[in-house]
Amino acid sequence: MATTRVESGAAGHGAEPRGKRTDQGEATYLVAIAEALWEEMERDERVYMLGEDIGVYGGAFKVTEGFIERFGAERVMDTPIVEETIVGMALGSAMEGMRPVAEFQYADFMSSGYDEITTALARYHYRSGVPIPVVLRGPSGGGVRASSFHSTNPEPWLAHAPGLKVICPAFPSDAKGLLKAAIRDDNPCVFLEHKWIYRRIKERVSEEPDFLLPIGSADVKRRGDDVTVIAYGMMVHLALEAAETLAGEGIDVEVLDLRTVQPLDRDAILTSVTKTSHALVLYESHRFLGTGAEVASLIAEEAFETLDGPVVRLAPPNVPVPFSPPLEDAYLPQVADIEEAVRKLSAW
Amino acid sequence: MATTIEQQGQVAEDWRVGLSDEQLREILRHLKLCRYFDERMEALYRQGKLPGAIYSGRGQEGTHVGVAFALRKDDSLFPTHRDLSAQLTKGLDLNRVMAQFWGRIDGYTRGRDGNSHIGDWQGNRTWTVMSHLPIAYPVACGAALAYQRRNEPRVAMAICGDGATSNGRWHEALNVSAIYRLPVVWVVNNNLYAYSTPNPLEFPLPTIAERSSAYGMPGVRLDAQNVLDVYRVAHEAVERAREGGGPTLIESLSLRWRGHAGHDPAKYVPQELLEEYMTHKDPVRRFEQLLRSRGVVSEQDVADLDERVRAAFEAGYEYALSSPFPEAGDVTKGLFTDDGYWASEPGRGGGTQA
Repeated sequence: MATTRVESGAAGHGAEPRGKRTDQGEATYLVAIAEALWEEMERDERVYMLGEDIGVYGGAFKVTEGFIERFGAERVMDTPIVEETIVGMALGSAMEGMRPVAEFQYADFMSSGYDEITTALARYHYRSGVPIPVVLRGPSGGGVRASSFHSTNPEPWLAHAPGLKVICPAFPSDAKGLLKAAIRDDNPCVFLEHKWIYRRIKERVSEEPDFLLPIGSADVKRRGDDVTVIAYGMMVHLALEAAETLAGEGIDVEVLDLRTVQPLDRDAILTSVTKTSHALVLYESHRFLGTGAEVASLIAEEAFETLDGPVVRLAPPNVPVPFSPPLEDAYLPQVADIEEAVRKLSAW
Repeated sequence: MATTIEQQGQVAEDWRVGLSDEQLREILRHLKLCRYFDERMEALYRQGKLPGAIYSGRGQEGTHVGVAFALRKDDSLFPTHRDLSAQLTKGLDLNRVMAQFWGRIDGYTRGRDGNSHIGDWQGNRTWTVMSHLPIAYPVACGAALAYQRRNEPRVAMAICGDGATSNGRWHEALNVSAIYRLPVVWVVNNNLYAYSTPNPLEFPLPTIAERSSAYGMPGVRLDAQNVLDVYRVAHEAVERAREGGGPTLIESLSLRWRGHAGHDPAKYVPQELLEEYMTHKDPVRRFEQLLRSRGVVSEQDVADLDERVRAAFEAGYEYALSSPFPEAGDVTKGLFTDDGYWASEPGRGGGTQA
C-alpha cells in the first residue's frame, strides 16, 4: 500500500480547518475519517453525532468541521462536559433506533465515562438482546508531546470489557472502511484514532459509498519471511520504517497490522508466525497486561512448536505518559528499539 | 421551586384523580400483587429455596405503582433493583419474572442475570436493571432525545433512590435534560436510607426536590403513603413532558420496611420509625381502605383479589421451576448480535436440575 508521510508537525490542538483530498485523490487519515462520517450521515438519517465542541467549532482536531452547516445542530450535537451522559445518551438513543456516533475530545477522557461505557454500554446486549448501534470515537496515543492526559492508549481497558468492539486503524483507507463498518454495526464499537497519524499519513482512499472493511480482520502491511512484527496504530508505521533498514541487513520483516484489537484476528497472527517462526509483539499500551500480552499468550499457546525463539514484547513501561521529549522518547518504542529487538530475535 | 405535600389537600376535591373504577381496581391489584410477591419471595429466600439475592421494595409500593401507572405502554421506564413493583405495573409477566429469579431460560435475561436485575425493553419498554446507580439516568436522556427528535409523543421515566442522588451522573442527567428540554420524568424514591446511611448524611438540604430550581425544572416532594397522590403528580409530569414542557423532578417519600437486601436486618432503622410507617403509612392497606370506603370494592372483591394474587404467584412459582436452565454451552453466545443468539429461540436442553 503506497503511503506518503506529510510533515505537518504535532497533530492536533485545532489549528487547521478540515482538509480536502489532494489533487491526486489522496486523503490523510483525518480526512478519511471525516469522509466516513460525512458519507454515513448522508446515507442514513438515523446517524447523528454528539460530543464536546463538535458543532460550530468543528471538534478539537477539526474532524467535524463543516458538518453542522450541512446537517444542523440536532445531528451535530454539542454537549456540556458530561462524558458519562454522552455515553448514556448514545446508548439510550440507540436502544430507540438511532445510530449515534459520540466524539471524545481525547480518548483519555473515556475514563470519565468509563462506567457508562464498560457497565452500561458493553453489557446491555448480553443481558437483553437489544441491538446497540453505538460508536465512540476519539484520538488516542502519544508521540505528539501532549503528556499524560492527552496521550493515553485506552484499548486494553476497553477490550477487556466484554461487549465492546475496539478498532485501532493505522492507515487512511483502513480508518475509512472500518469507521463506516462500525457505524453500520449493531454493536457498541470504540474507534480509536491515533492523533500522531491524523495529518502525517495519506494515501489513495476509496470513494465507493459502500467501501467497508470487516471489523476483526488484520492486514499484512509488509510481506516478509524472517520475523513477524505484530502491531497496530502508530507502531505499524514505526515497524515499517524499521523493516526498511533491516531489509538492508538481510532480515526480511513481515508487518502485521491488527487494525482491530477486539475481536482479535487470531488466524492472521498464527498464520504469519507459523511462516516466520519469530514473533515480536509491538504495542503502545503499557507492556504490563497490555494489548500485546494477550497476543503473546496466544502465540505461546497455539504456535509454540513453530517458534525458533521466545515471543518478544516491545511496549512502554508501566508509568503515565511523560511530557519532556527525552522522557516520552524513552517511554515509547522507537524505530531503533524495534530494529534492535528484531536483530536479537532473528539470531535465534 | 419545589412544591410539597400541602398539595395533597386537592385530593379531597377529586379523590379519584380522574381514574375510573376499573383503573382504581387495577391499581389495587398491582399493589396487592407486588406486596404478596415481595413477602413470599422473602419467605422462599429465608427457606433456602431461592438462589441469589432479593431486594425488597416493601412499603414503597405507593411510589412504584403510582409512577408506573402514569406511563403509556410505549413510554419507557428506567428503574432500579428496588423497583420490581414498578416493572410489574408496567407490564412484566409474573411467570417470566419468577423464571429469572430461579436462573431459568424463560426469564427475561435468559439466565444472564438474576433477581430484580430485570427488564423487558422489546415488550414493555423497561430497562434491564444495573447496579451502578444511577447508571440509567443518562440512558433515559438518550431515549427521551430519540422521542423528541422524531416528534413522537412519548416519555422516558427514570427511578433512583435517595442514595443515587449523591452520584455525579445524577447531576449530569438532570442538567442535560433541562438544557435540551427532554421529555423525561425523574423519580427519586426517597426511602430515607442509602443502604444504612440516613438522609442527613447524604445531602445537606432538607429535601432533594428543591434541587430542581437549580435546573430550572419543576420539583415536587410528596408522601407515597397515598398511591393516588403519587399517580396524580406523576401523571401531570408525564403529560407535561409529552406536550413538550420538559423534565420534572419528583421526590417520593416512603420507608424501606426491610433491609437493603435479604441478608440485612436493617437494625439502623429506629423501631419507632418503622412502626409508624408500617402501622399508619402502609400504602397497600390505605388504598384498600380508601376503595372500600368509597364503595369501589367490597369485602368479597378484596377476598377474591387476594385469592387471584395468591394463585398467580403459585402458578408463577410452578412455571419457574419447570422452566429449563440455560444450556451451559451457550455461555459465550449473544455477547454481540453477530451470532444471532438473541434473534433465535434459545436451546431448552438445560434441564431443570442445576
